[in-house]
Amino acid sequence: MAAGTSIGLFGPNGHGKTTLLMTISGIIDPWRGDILFEGERLNREGERKSQLSRNINYDVIRRRRMDPKKVARAGLIHVSQGNTLYPEMTIAETLAIAPIAANGRVEETESLDKVYSLFPKLYERQDQKARFLSGGERQMLSVSAALMAAPKLLLLDEPTLGLSPKLRLELAEAIRAIKADGVPLLVVDQDVEFLESLIDTLYLFDHGRISRRIEKEDLPSYEEIMSLLFEGAS
Amino acid sequence: MPMEALLSVLTGGLVLGSLYALMATGLAVVWTTLGIFNFAHGAFIAVGAYVAWQISSADAIGAGFVIGLVGAVVVLFVIGVIAHFLLVQPFERKPNLVLLSVVTTLAGATIFENLLIVGWGARPKQIAPMLEGDLHLGEVSISQNEAIIIVLVLFILALVGFFLRRSRTGRAMRAVAQNREAAQLMGLDVPKLFGMAFGLSAALAGLAGVFIGSIRFINPSMGADPLLKALIVVIFGGVARFTSPIYAAFIAGMVEAFAIYYVGLYWAPAVLFALMIVVLVIKPEGLFGKHERSV
Repeated sequence: MAAGTSIGLFGPNGHGKTTLLMTISGIIDPWRGDILFEGERLNREGERKSQLSRNINYDVIRRRRMDPKKVARAGLIHVSQGNTLYPEMTIAETLAIAPIAANGRVEETESLDKVYSLFPKLYERQDQKARFLSGGERQMLSVSAALMAAPKLLLLDEPTLGLSPKLRLELAEAIRAIKADGVPLLVVDQDVEFLESLIDTLYLFDHGRISRRIEKEDLPSYEEIMSLLFEGAS
Repeated sequence: MPMEALLSVLTGGLVLGSLYALMATGLAVVWTTLGIFNFAHGAFIAVGAYVAWQISSADAIGAGFVIGLVGAVVVLFVIGVIAHFLLVQPFERKPNLVLLSVVTTLAGATIFENLLIVGWGARPKQIAPMLEGDLHLGEVSISQNEAIIIVLVLFILALVGFFLRRSRTGRAMRAVAQNREAAQLMGLDVPKLFGMAFGLSAALAGLAGVFIGSIRFINPSMGADPLLKALIVVIFGGVARFTSPIYAAFIAGMVEAFAIYYVGLYWAPAVLFALMIVVLVIKPEGLFGKHERSV
């Protein structure tokens, strides 16, 4: 990704988009390859040997190649699909610990003011536990917590999935505001129109690989993208 | 039941309840954070008692009860962190962690007990109580040592509750307990927080060991019975809230005190187990439990 730009990932379900994001953020240990961010390699060198992982306790014999804490503290903040964060913690408590990943990059009160102005609903319900929030409010809380972590790149995995049309619009508007505020995004979504309003480049994802790169100005319609993907699969 | 006996049973129940609360809270901190039962918790109780004895007893260093108590807490915190690193961390990402940790923590318990036998011998010892003499409140008479134990336990549990609810580290520990993956994605240092949870749990066990040691004799296997009681309390009360095992501990303490009075010392554990089974049949998630486990 070029610095400061936002990209979208589009592809059929089950083709590895979420796995890619999980690998970037260190939850899944990659077999091979490197994850570089701002010139820094976030993974340890070497490859993960398949035989070792199958037959012995890989975590003890070989250190993991990725450390999620290191990735988050480098500024890559991942809002995962259907993420409910911490069900028994209040909105205020959740947002209070979110700046741990920011490593002191920003003023916490300033970020909190920004988050509450973006999502006034969360301010009104700040003493409510996350499990009592609606799906849309939970997603707002996840995005807010990610913002409190002062992201240098925000990874959003289907942020509007399963939301009502009204909440979908509300959240999409907030994400556009985040982008306008200068936070680069890596967005996975099935809604091409939504992606178009956020990204500079779209990557088509097919069977675990990037099959095509499309610049924003050349972005075809949903139907054309689907036919491109089917061609890629055949 | 004569009034004098009733008051005596009630104070006995309060003492037992406060000790169980301390032990069960330690056990619950690990259960809610890592999702495992630490079977070395009883051994931590014994180690705490021996460390305090070594520091406080006139036959050893002789530094007094308070320094012995603080020393036991610090040493047990460190032992807890090390025990987590050796016994649990290597398996943390394994799907059968619960089973593996039963084996490793039981092994740890045996090793600690044997180390105590090697270091201090099997003969019972006693930690000199914090305060001598009795406290008389109307018709109620309670030893000053037991009274101060009840007060200290309540104060310590309030402090732990405050730490978990108000401090950033405490909140991070709760976050890891509730959603480990989200906590990782938000940059929390999960292995460190797990280690701290184990350390905190061991420190509470050590504290319980010191208090038990100032009431009864200490020996290397003294943690077995308290571990069993703490397990009953945690399962009986559930771990939906930080306070759930504490309430359950005081109920269990009272039930045991009355059971001792009515059916005798040997039948008291059976009464407790029977009560636990009845509660679990009616409310499988525990008396104060909910479906989700959390802190």
